[in-house]
Amino acid sequence: MPKLTMTINNKQIEPMEISEEIMMIEYLHEYLNLTGTKFGCGQGECSACEIIVDHKDGTSESVKTCINSALTFQGKKIRTIEGHAKKNAKGYAVKLNPVQEAFAKQFSFQCGWCTPGFTNRATLLLEELEKNPIKKEDLRTHISEHLNSHLCRCTGYVKYFKALEDLILSKKGLTL
Amino acid sequence: MKKLTILWTIFLFPLVVCASKDTTLIKKGEYLSKIADCFACHTADKGEPYGGGVPFITPFGNVYSTNISSDKKAGIGSYTYEEFYDALHKGIGKHGNLYPAMPFTSFYLITDEDTKALYAYMMSIKPVSQKNRDNEISFPFNIRAGLKTWNLVNLSNEKFVPEEDKSEKYNRGNYLINSLGHCGECHTPRNSMMAMDKKRKLEGNLIVGYVAPSLQSVELRRQEWTLKDLVSVMKNGYSRRGTVLGHMTPIIYHSLSNVSHEDLEAMASYLLDSDEEVETKALTFNGHDKKDPGYLLYTGYCTSCHGINGEGIPNTTPALAGNATLNTKKPLNTMLTIIYGIKNERYSQTNAFGHMPSYNFTDEEMTNLINYLQKTFTNIGIKHSLEEIQAFKEEVIKGMENAEH
Ligand code: FES
Ligand code: FES
Repeated sequence: MPKLTMTINNKQIEPMEISEEIMMIEYLHEYLNLTGTKFGCGQGECSACEIIVDHKDGTSESVKTCINSALTFQGKKIRTIEGHAKKNAKGYAVKLNPVQEAFAKQFSFQCGWCTPGFTNRATLLLEELEKNPIKKEDLRTHISEHLNSHLCRCTGYVKYFKALEDLILSKKGLTL
Repeated sequence: MKKLTILWTIFLFPLVVCASKDTTLIKKGEYLSKIADCFACHTADKGEPYGGGVPFITPFGNVYSTNISSDKKAGIGSYTYEEFYDALHKGIGKHGNLYPAMPFTSFYLITDEDTKALYAYMMSIKPVSQKNRDNEISFPFNIRAGLKTWNLVNLSNEKFVPEEDKSEKYNRGNYLINSLGHCGECHTPRNSMMAMDKKRKLEGNLIVGYVAPSLQSVELRRQEWTLKDLVSVMKNGYSRRGTVLGHMTPIIYHSLSNVSHEDLEAMASYLLDSDEEVETKALTFNGHDKKDPGYLLYTGYCTSCHGINGEGIPNTTPALAGNATLNTKKPLNTMLTIIYGIKNERYSQTNAFGHMPSYNFTDEEMTNLINYLQKTFTNIGIKHSLEEIQAFKEEVIKGMENAEH
């Protein structure tokens, strides 16, 4: 079995021997102490556990970690919720990324269990709109389609939606 | 006073008997309509119950089911018993021949007694005024006169005859499967005239993107189904041998889950051609081959739900060990679930299954995974080449595309 290694939040992870039965979320939590990614349904239904995979061709996607083993991420470049905020020299977060800030300001979440998944997916949406802006009138449908697979048991989605819509509209160049 | 009571009794008694006879007949008809699954085909999504409007996609265009509620104008409320009988048995409606999307090529076997009960029930349901939709059938198939010729060739007028050397249970199953249950309409391949190919009865068929698997006893026994497994899959949509899929889900929900245990057992007994329970075999798990290229694909994408040894999770994910869907020469339904995923299936408060996501595997990965699943969890002993898997994949995708258009 080849040793598992990958780049997480721009840091190369030490190669380690790992059982093929370990799911990615378990690897993040138990081996790397990255506990920000949340385990919700464990069946690929709620998207709470999604992280970002940046592919070599410049595209990125949001991938579930509860149903895919750690080994399926072999050699990949990934981003988790811990990687979004700017850190100081001591490693403490000093500035949230725009999506995190918008969600916090609008009180988008309550228990926060679903938030890492929403944040990753919304961050990807912002990046995608930077490359390919869309018409303003299409924005609401576009956001709904994008967040469709994310479940939240507390908030009723309205504030997530609103925060993201306001954020996108406030940034130049994301809509036409 | 005494005289008055006697008089009342004399007048009322026949009425009471009549009413209770009617209620019994209506109740029986309601039960039979569940087996025939009239509701599912005659109730559109968000439409009125029995109001029709469900599209049937055929190679000649879309046919829409009609309103069969007791409404005198929009439905069949004005049908006499004879007219109702003819619609069911001969495919002749009041306004002309019916398209064989209505399974009269199976319903012709329904007994008079059962037809009477069905009639009583259909006439008792709430009338709904939902208008029928025009069919979208291309020329020359839109000329209904052609259906007369089709019926002449493909429709029999024989009555159901129980097989003499078989038990009552088997024959009840035979009747239910082949008449009311109209299982062959999907599970029997069609001939060049699009009629059920009688020589290949229940052999399995590709229909709107899915394989309606073989229900022949030889194949069911090879896949190690027992009477109990078959009853379970019909009643609950799942069993030790796996779950149902696609179009079979609403059939379980509306129809088979409402059928009595006794009738389900009869159907299972007919399908397995056995009155007694057949030998129960352990679920197949042949052990993992860690050097096989399919092993890391299996552990990578399947195990969190289907279990490291293919044991599944009760009421969430079916076991892969001994799974009949996997245990077929042409594993099209397995590939279909991998490519398109499965939506949640909810039968009742206590019986529901989670969804399965779709996977975008390369053809090489798909070949390795399918071969690994079949090698590990079945005894079918087949290894597919990349070209075979590519051809299967094309068949699956084409089937789904046709189903959507
Ligand atoms: S925890 Fe992974 S999708 Fe719900
Ligand atoms: S904030 Fe609690 S689940 Fe979404």
